[in-house]
Amino acid sequence: MVTPNHPLRHGNYDTVSETGSAPGTLDAMKRLWTPAWIARHVAMVVLVVSFLGLGWWQISRATAGNSLSWGYAVEWPIFAGFVVYVWWREVKLARRREAEADAPPADPAVEPAPTVTTGSRPAVRRPVRVSRVPASTGDVVEDTDLAAYNHYLSWLNANPGARPGDYPG
Amino acid sequence: MGAALTRYRVIAWIVGVVLILLVVIGMPLKYAFDNPVVVETIGPAHGFLYMIYLVAAFDLSRRADWPLKRMLLVMLAGTVPFVSFYAERRVSAWVAAPQEARTPEPVAH
Repeated sequence: MVTPNHPLRHGNYDTVSETGSAPGTLDAMKRLWTPAWIARHVAMVVLVVSFLGLGWWQISRATAGNSLSWGYAVEWPIFAGFVVYVWWREVKLARRREAEADAPPADPAVEPAPTVTTGSRPAVRRPVRVSRVPASTGDVVEDTDLAAYNHYLSWLNANPGARPGDYPG
Repeated sequence: MGAALTRYRVIAWIVGVVLILLVVIGMPLKYAFDNPVVVETIGPAHGFLYMIYLVAAFDLSRRADWPLKRMLLVMLAGTVPFVSFYAERRVSAWVAAPQEARTPEPVAH
């Protein structure tokens, strides 16, 4: 599945000119003031105003006797609210993407946590059935319960945000 | 995801069928035979079913993490007669497609 909303993907992002400012500052706000973003803001305002106007028009029709218009009078403000919500969500996504672009690159020596994040939630990988090899062939008989628990803890550590129920082991 | 897809497919099918009834039967009756009864009964029903379609499409798009453009296209596709069925098939294929970059994590070392 294509996930262009993936926060880690900023391949076509000009990260060089965008470093050196923390999110939440005026600099971070400036990036939401590019021509493309201004067009989006304007589209949001135009849509909201026209949807509310259409709602008002339906109210006037409803009071004139068209009872079905009461339903439409409710729907248009909902549409307007939806437009605001989508706009706010896109802004939030863009700012998060910037914050991740600004973040110092992870130490390549440290293996990154093996989670695939989709949006803001960490996606947990599908449990896989793997035939287990005998734990140890040495003469030291390991406490298998303890080993299993340690493996569970290390899995939890490697998958931050995962719930215990997702443990595949 | 599976339940959201099923919800979307069910309402997409219903909306598609009602829309075709409206266009193929209701509109000719109203404009050619001056009998608006079908349009007057099915029309508002289709309107409110389409609202449910929008909600289902939005829900699915959030779960599947679609880009905004695709969500809007899918929503608009529900308004075009016959195209809504094609859209439903495309959506099902998108969602059923194997997820990229999700390799299984081995359990044993």
